[in-house]
Amino acid sequence: MFRTEEMDINMGPQHPSTHGVLRLVLNLDGEEIVDVRPVIGYLHRGVEKLSEHRTYAMIEPLTDRLDYVAAISENLGYCGAVEKLMGLQVPPRAQSIRVILAELQRIASHLLWLGTHALDLGAMTVFFYTFRERELILDLFEQFCGARLTYNAMRIGGLLEDVPPGWTDRVRHFLSIFPSRQKEYEDLLTVNRIWLGRTQGVGVLSREDAVALGTSGPTLRGSGVDYDVRKSQPYSSYDQFDFDVPLGTKGDTYDRYLVRMEEMRQSCRIIQQALDRLPEGEVRAKVPKYIKPPAGEVYHVVESPRGEQGFYIVSKGSEMPYRMRFRSPSFVNLQALPMMCKGRLIADVVAIIGSIDIVLGDVDR
Amino acid sequence: MGATTRTVEAPRTTGAREILKTFLLLELWVGLWVTLKNQFRPHITVEYPKERVELSPRFRGIPRLRFHPESGEELCIACHLCETVCPDDCIHIVSEKKPDGKGKRLVSFEINLERCCFCGLCVDPCPTKPLTAIYMSHDYEMADFKRDAFVAPLKVLLNGVDPKDYKE
Repeated sequence: MFRTEEMDINMGPQHPSTHGVLRLVLNLDGEEIVDVRPVIGYLHRGVEKLSEHRTYAMIEPLTDRLDYVAAISENLGYCGAVEKLMGLQVPPRAQSIRVILAELQRIASHLLWLGTHALDLGAMTVFFYTFRERELILDLFEQFCGARLTYNAMRIGGLLEDVPPGWTDRVRHFLSIFPSRQKEYEDLLTVNRIWLGRTQGVGVLSREDAVALGTSGPTLRGSGVDYDVRKSQPYSSYDQFDFDVPLGTKGDTYDRYLVRMEEMRQSCRIIQQALDRLPEGEVRAKVPKYIKPPAGEVYHVVESPRGEQGFYIVSKGSEMPYRMRFRSPSFVNLQALPMMCKGRLIADVVAIIGSIDIVLGDVDR
Repeated sequence: MGATTRTVEAPRTTGAREILKTFLLLELWVGLWVTLKNQFRPHITVEYPKERVELSPRFRGIPRLRFHPESGEELCIACHLCETVCPDDCIHIVSEKKPDGKGKRLVSFEINLERCCFCGLCVDPCPTKPLTAIYMSHDYEMADFKRDAFVAPLKVLLNGVDPKDYKE
């Protein structure tokens, strides 16, 4: 007479905690999650196809719009891929400035993640503080390239312009205030018992599963796998810098939080080193006016704040790519979501989505 | 550089300190102290229409055309390079031969701001020296009621629009 049955509930695409237009179909047994099916494609713009009809220089503004929270990492990866294809050598000064920009972008992206993740879990204060500091980084980017979100900061072969006068001092000023601000976030969250209750043991991703699902970035390192593209396949002179790769032990939401917090500290270290030995010289290699890479194919990866961001270009020797493929970390990391959510409660889904830090522009492309 | 890793772990306390923490809610007081400190920091909010942030010199706003600073002539030589590199096809140029024979001059130069993505790629190849004919201006207030207003003709591109007045 009385019976219970499983129920499907839609979460999103207009749910504020899904960080964009992600739709999740939750299969529930009471409050408990039996299965999660992510439905993606709401932000699909066909960037890969669009790229086939644009010259190489025109594609860079498109890469800004893939992972719009960390556009500079995309610029760096795309320019690096084309440079690899053409066999260009980027001047050392440009490489170091690129590293500074990419690491500032990593901090800015992690600050946005921290603010929204904490906001989702009910810690509203952190959101205001992190956005205040993120604003300082966006100001630095505005001074460097003139935009605050879609930077288009690099050019194939280096950078468009050298840093503006006084810019390095402003970066140093940011580095001098940031560690104390980060301590404040940690005071608010790291030992807070509500935060611990919401994150510890939630969304556990085992080491084997993390590797099997192809995750990368902090999602993978939170599970204790030592894989960072900056170390394993150094690009843009990352091999000259001294930094640690933070690793988690349990692979839960709290470990991924700790990994990202430590990454911000390591980014500060890298920027400090890059500023201290910033080489002099040109910022752009000699590049032909019309960029026509030789026929061939190339795959280039960079460590974006979200993970392994890959660019695969097939060239037939014309001024437009024959095929373009973006390997976006958010898309792959999203695969791990159903596995992490199984057996947890609905409220934990919000924490888990926040902890894998997806950007829907990157998932759908 | 050798591969270096660092394991992150939750800070642990043991013994009497742990008991004290449990009962006195120490970490919550630490958090409240942080928020209290921040109450006395200066405000960083800018009350936008009344006050404006200072833009950096490289800020990329609406693309515009430039006059020669001394002679007052149009700098653009109608080479169509910006039209070629624009990733959004938002620039449309019509040019004609100059009556005295040498070079070309502009008949019309339109930028469709509905399509423009403010990437600044049009400025890079501009051949006029030392100032580029097309430049990214510092105008960023683009809201309007009609779509026609977004296709900026030559006159607007050269002279710009007056900053909008937001007084009631």
